[in-house]
Amino acid sequence: MAWSLAETRMRIVCLEQGGWMNPADYPSTRTGWEQERFQGAFSLSPNGRGRREDYPINDSDSPIKISNFNAVGGSTILYAAHFPRLHPSDFRVKSLDGVADDWPIDYATLEPFYDLNARMMGVAGLAGDPAYPPKELPLPPVPLGKLGETLGRGFNHLGWHWWPSDSAIATEEYQGRAACINLGPCLTGCAQGAKGSTDVTYWPVAVREGVELRTHCRVREITVDDKGMASGAIYVDAEGNEHHQRAEMVIVACNGVGTPRLLLNSRSKLFPDGLANSSGLVGRNLMFHPYAMVTGLFDEPLEGYKGPTGCSIISQEFYETDRDRGFVRGYSAEMIRGMGPVSTALWGMSSSQLPWGQGHHAAYDALWDRTAGMVLICEDLPEPENRVTLDPDLVDSDGIPAPKIEYRLSENSLKMLDHAVARGSEALEAAGARQTWPEAPLPPAGWHLMGTARMGTDPGKSVVNSVGRAHDVKNLFVVDGSVFVTSGGVNPTNTLQAISLYVADHIKRNLETLFD
Amino acid sequence: MSENPLPEPIFSSLLDVLIPARSPSLPGAGSLGLAAYVEPRLGEGGSGVASGLGALDARANESHGADFPALAEQAQVELVKQVGAEHPGFVESLLFHLYTGYYEHPRVVEALGLESRPPFPKGYPLEAGDLGLLDSVRARSGLCREV
Ligand SMILES: Cc1cc2nc3c(=O)[nH]c(=O)nc-3n(C[C@H](O)[C@H](O)[C@H](O)COP(=O)(O)OP(=O)(O)OC[C@H]3O[C@@H](n4cnc5c(N)ncnc54)[C@H](O)[C@@H]3O)c2cc1C
Ligand code: SF4
Repeated sequence: MAWSLAETRMRIVCLEQGGWMNPADYPSTRTGWEQERFQGAFSLSPNGRGRREDYPINDSDSPIKISNFNAVGGSTILYAAHFPRLHPSDFRVKSLDGVADDWPIDYATLEPFYDLNARMMGVAGLAGDPAYPPKELPLPPVPLGKLGETLGRGFNHLGWHWWPSDSAIATEEYQGRAACINLGPCLTGCAQGAKGSTDVTYWPVAVREGVELRTHCRVREITVDDKGMASGAIYVDAEGNEHHQRAEMVIVACNGVGTPRLLLNSRSKLFPDGLANSSGLVGRNLMFHPYAMVTGLFDEPLEGYKGPTGCSIISQEFYETDRDRGFVRGYSAEMIRGMGPVSTALWGMSSSQLPWGQGHHAAYDALWDRTAGMVLICEDLPEPENRVTLDPDLVDSDGIPAPKIEYRLSENSLKMLDHAVARGSEALEAAGARQTWPEAPLPPAGWHLMGTARMGTDPGKSVVNSVGRAHDVKNLFVVDGSVFVTSGGVNPTNTLQAISLYVADHIKRNLETLFD
Repeated sequence: MSENPLPEPIFSSLLDVLIPARSPSLPGAGSLGLAAYVEPRLGEGGSGVASGLGALDARANESHGADFPALAEQAQVELVKQVGAEHPGFVESLLFHLYTGYYEHPRVVEALGLESRPPFPKGYPLEAGDLGLLDSVRARSGLCREV
């Protein structure tokens, strides 16, 4: 968003509570890299990392826990860079399947911004995927490796769809980024700079083009004037000093939990229930993607510890609704890699496959480099009871109220998870797995955060309009997963970035009349 | 960590029981020096481990008239099972850190056929794979639902 708006020569100030990361400090640069996935400063939960840049999140009332990261680059520092688009049907869920709501925009609206985002993020992939309208991507696909080929053969055996994953990973040198060298541990930051985290894609260009980025500045509240327009933001700097940054336009992009938290913390006489919340929907309709994981054990080594963790192949055989399955909507299956020696041992322990004592080494040898994991990413439908509120007691290190998550899995999601586990196991077996182990829902999978400031045309049923502008506050925009109307069955980042570029484009084209 | 260091040589003996020698040239986890890795990471679990070790020592002397490290391997295994059953969590609280430390130990990593090094900066070669496998998928239609 900031990058796109920079060409207007407006003065743009971005406030980010985290700092710049140094890729030379990422775990993959040292021995002990594997265990850092599970504990310490690069682990998934903000509650366990112990970094000042993070804020705590009370997720005890949810079977799915929040995973995020707070720094320049945000959660893309840790993300897997699996980069699919939504399908055209995802924008028309109500019309097609009679559930949830249609989006006020469609695939065609976002298509040019998906294309632009592919160039900016450096997306690798293969043209010709029959599950999508035609698309061109700037980089060749990530290597299949032995694991991808093995699983691809399994899908072929069943006659199911599969395709190399669209991946925001530089498979060749790209715009100053070095090519991926298949390190494996993408989820603790990419030391090579090949993964398209936004600290190496958008931010450097935005800053070069005049955007001012203030790091270690945590926004406490968005202020309003007596006409109900946003007038700026109060933030706390690294030394704990409070400042008020005045602004003519405020854009919020704190993700699906951070955004409702900030809006709910921005209470005033005119907006006693939080900013832009006349509909009462700020924080409601929280969607994750409920994840299942199936791990298969093979007889042959698969070299699964090499290559981007989350980017290999995807199957969308069960993406679209088939009511005979007993649920609506569907899911993607994504093959994962990255099981190094430590992860193999810990997985063996948790799945009771690895005893201590005399049988230990034989059991380990049967597991080492012979497991393949598949995650199944289920579409979540919006439900008002699933929500982000402010915790009455919990605060961050600056004393700002922290978010609380209330979330239940719906009947539809539970049925979809069951189906996904069964079909995932079938696919692994078709590829040669002699045993499979399912886990559903996957507890740490609260990494896709959507729906909490939803987009729509009716101010009573949505928080922002079709161009991301708050219905209640004409100079306030939201551009992150919060605005999603439905979640689709794919990872959201490509879409939320495309939405940001689309909203920025709207702002640039309508500067004169923007607040009418 | 517990207030007092965990007693030796019994702690390392226990680690050797939990992960025994892999081959004549690769001794068990205790002999590889994993105690120094595991102990500082035990946190609050340290006191449970200390009392489990105390019970192990007492039981070894009671039933075999010898200290635990001096017993034959099979006798050690039986005692660890007994004490583990009586002190829930005694063994389990060790395993996470033990497995983590053991499977990143250079000698163990090399025994698995890998180079002992961090993934960066050398990385790994990876085959592009046979994209011809996709021919049948490419030929399919109707996967992208009409809207
Ligand atoms: C482990 C993991 C794996 C993932 N894998 C994938 C994947 O493969 N594909 C995919 O599409 N998505 C993936 N995701 C999700 C992806 O990271 C997010 O969708 C994406 O980063 C969202 O972008 P965002 O800018 O909206 O939010 P974030 O990236 O979370 O950034 C929000 C930023 O706002 C800052 N902020 C929040 N509140 C305040 C405040 N009050 N004041 C100042 N600053 C504030 C935060 O510090 C943060 O830097 C993954 C996420 C995780 C954690
Ligand atoms: S596998 Fe590629 S993208 Fe992932 S961390 Fe390694 S170099 Fe980066």
